[in-house]
Amino acid sequence: MAKDPVRVLVTGAAGQIGYALVPMIARGVMLGPDQPVILHMLDIEPAAEALNGVKMELIDAAFPLLRGVVATTDVAEACKGVNIAVMVGGFPRKEGMERKDVMSKNVSIYKAQAAALEQHAAPDCKVLVVANPANTNALILKEFAPSIPDKNITCLTRLDHNRALGQISERLNVHVSEVKNVIIWGNHSSTQYPDVNHASVITTNGAEKSVKDAIANDDWLETEFITTVQQRGAAIIKARKLSSALSAASAACDHIRDWVLGTLKGTWVSMGVYSDGSYGIQPGIIYSFPVTCEKGQWSIVQGLKVDEFSRDKMDATAKELMEEKSLAYSCLN
Amino acid sequence: MEQEHIILLQKILVLLFCVTLFWKIIKYMCGLLNMEKEPLTVLVTGAAGQIGYALVPMIARGVMLGPDQPVILHMLDIEPAAEALNGVKMELIDAAFPLLRGVVATTDVAEACKGVNIAVMVGGFPRKEGMERKDVMSKNVSIYKAQAAALEQHAAPDCKVLVVANPANTNALILKEFAPSIPDKNITCLTRLDHNRALGQISERLNVHVSEVKNVIIWGNHSSTQYPDVNHASVITTNGAEKSVKDAIANDDWLETEFITTVQQRGAAIIKARKLSSALSAASAACDHIRDWVLGTLKGTWVSMGVYSDGSYGIQPGIIYSFPVTCEKGQWSIVQGLKVDEFSRDKMDATAKELMEEKSLAYSCLN
Repeated sequence: MAKDPVRVLVTGAAGQIGYALVPMIARGVMLGPDQPVILHMLDIEPAAEALNGVKMELIDAAFPLLRGVVATTDVAEACKGVNIAVMVGGFPRKEGMERKDVMSKNVSIYKAQAAALEQHAAPDCKVLVVANPANTNALILKEFAPSIPDKNITCLTRLDHNRALGQISERLNVHVSEVKNVIIWGNHSSTQYPDVNHASVITTNGAEKSVKDAIANDDWLETEFITTVQQRGAAIIKARKLSSALSAASAACDHIRDWVLGTLKGTWVSMGVYSDGSYGIQPGIIYSFPVTCEKGQWSIVQGLKVDEFSRDKMDATAKELMEEKSLAYSCLN
Repeated sequence: MEQEHIILLQKILVLLFCVTLFWKIIKYMCGLLNMEKEPLTVLVTGAAGQIGYALVPMIARGVMLGPDQPVILHMLDIEPAAEALNGVKMELIDAAFPLLRGVVATTDVAEACKGVNIAVMVGGFPRKEGMERKDVMSKNVSIYKAQAAALEQHAAPDCKVLVVANPANTNALILKEFAPSIPDKNITCLTRLDHNRALGQISERLNVHVSEVKNVIIWGNHSSTQYPDVNHASVITTNGAEKSVKDAIANDDWLETEFITTVQQRGAAIIKARKLSSALSAASAACDHIRDWVLGTLKGTWVSMGVYSDGSYGIQPGIIYSFPVTCEKGQWSIVQGLKVDEFSRDKMDATAKELMEEKSLAYSCLN
């Protein structure tokens, strides 16, 4: 028996990330190859014709899992009955722009969309914020949609997590699926802390080894590796003249899929979630932690040892998030 | 009594021996099944462009060759796009795809073609708003002559080729002519996009899900002379019964006019709405084309592929023409014996005529 379709909202669906994301959702990459979906696509009025073009292409692709498409500029219609909301809509970062430049524009967008989601989305709607500044947009959304449970509002740091896996696998010349349990702490920005202290790799003879030992170069891990991952977004923009779309869309699918279907035993992933004070991180911000997922719920992996180097990095990115929070609130007043 | 007991004991021992042997064989076979397949190398030309950007994540996720088939991606583009192409490679690494076993991003056509098992030729001049397909013909024909030589020299034996860049049928024909050691049957062009569009239009008209409609046919050229034919198409109605689409629609006039022009001109409609050519749906159709070719079509279902004409249905041999095909064991075969009415005959001949004209035009460009 076919499952009941799940409604997935993508905001900013006429843009680059949306265009990469919707075929992935329609093919079952986000929710599994046996889960029918109904896509809700939202964008602003100037993009209405382009959005309709995307709807036409989705129909033209004859996806077996796609049970319906709603393309609209009306936020209430877009939010109606949605079970999963992927908030991609916002101002894209262009070459040379800092993330704070886009803050004030995006904060008012997220306040409005919070109200619509709260009113129209299905109960237990899971929200993933992608548009930058992701953590702070998610915080604003949470503040203005109080009836959506805190734990249902997350932001995307899976892209950074996957980028870290990629960098380690390239360095060790192994396949990326042999590396696991990196952590992205903090803000999806240049202060994020990619941490491999607890990461492991399956070596060529099949044994599991710590990444720190396999790399055998703490200096590289504490400097070049970190800055490469932190600034990867800018490197992509420099090469493509456009923001990452393919990899961001793929990471969004991974984030939701692991959240809904669960993480593999012994493996964790990184998600930006509402801080509960774990690891000495201030509650009241959306901060990226290592999490496992089961039965549709995430839980922060507890008890990992944090050395002094890591402590400083984790605190620095928390500090930036507190500053962004103040800046965001000042924009709203 | 003793004798019977001994015979019974012997029978039990033989039975136990057989069961043990059988169990060992089953376990061995299961072990074989768990072994990971060898990766297949897939080439995408024009990979830095729109369609390439939509296509490569689909390939890397297993949409093209199945969720258990590792792939190595070869991406080719021209020198001005080299930096953007490298950006795509970086993103593929950043996406940490479990099935993606390697990425080669290059502007060197020999390196790109080396060892490829599947070649998806997307590279060419994209059609912009207002441009006719013939406008891009002469530019693309010289590209395909050069790439034919490279594929012939460097690709793996039995490489399967799908030409997407327009004019798709004629580019595929040029490629075939200049890569004579690649079997004719291995060179195809994409009409699956039109096929899927036709399914979409029928499903919208009948208000059913698109997976309930099957066996439309796209005859001929991937252009405005294509003939979307539903004479043999069927739909599963709301009560579960299978019905002919013609009967379900009950409007032959619509099927012979508006439906046909909508599918024929859908590409232009997408360009008008997006200000860009179809990428998402074209990439998806390319995956469907290859997947059905390699893994086989479902029983009772056919698809449309642009293939080297063998004279079936009175269509001139020597052109790449879209036919209804089934696929099995990595080979396509044209569905034979379908009745062709007068209306269809005219349409099928008209699109064949255009292909003959394109063939002449292409050859004149080469001289």
